[in-house]
Amino acid sequence: MAINTPQETTEAFDTSSIEYVDYKDLELLKRFINEQGKILPRRITGVSAKFQRQLTRAVKRARHLALLPYVADTVR
Amino acid sequence: MAQPVNTYELTYIVNGVLSDNQTKEAVARINRFIEEHGGNVLETDEWGTRRLAYPIRKKRNGYYVNLYFQSAGDIITRLERSLEIDDDILRYITFKLDAKMLRHYEQQKSSAKRARAQEIDAAAAGRDDDDD
Repeated sequence: MAINTPQETTEAFDTSSIEYVDYKDLELLKRFINEQGKILPRRITGVSAKFQRQLTRAVKRARHLALLPYVADTVR
Repeated sequence: MAQPVNTYELTYIVNGVLSDNQTKEAVARINRFIEEHGGNVLETDEWGTRRLAYPIRKKRNGYYVNLYFQSAGDIITRLERSLEIDDDILRYITFKLDAKMLRHYEQQKSSAKRARAQEIDAAAAGRDDDDD
């Protein structure tokens, strides 16, 4: 209907049951980063702004503790 | 001197190349520090040795410890200072648990307890299926 239709907002993950995004929950966090270890933008993840902010913080905490990489360069 | 008591979460990484005894000693040292400064350790969860996502001080492995404690706020700076000085600690992070995080913690605790209870039940009954 609009001129700028979003390309591919993959099925939005149901975040309604999550009140606090825990940096220890790696299974969850890994769903929101790409192979390089980058945090996926909201336009791809399709989650709420509130959730995305919490997610970003949690990923950064996990990175500090070396639970997630800052850079995961998959050597081509 | 009556300071409000908060609940805190601390996660730290002990150098992975230490011997088991040294690691145990380091963990005990941190817990002792908290207790000696009027804190009350609620729970110490040792995740064990994990591979680090990236090397820290040229170490590739670390022994992760996650603990919860209650204390006044003024010991946190001192605790962090001692962690900073401690050569065996590669990384640490402390949080004050707010209402949300507390609820999350309680929830995790009860679900962990339930899982454990179920395991025990299953073991006692001599079967290994989970019904829920």
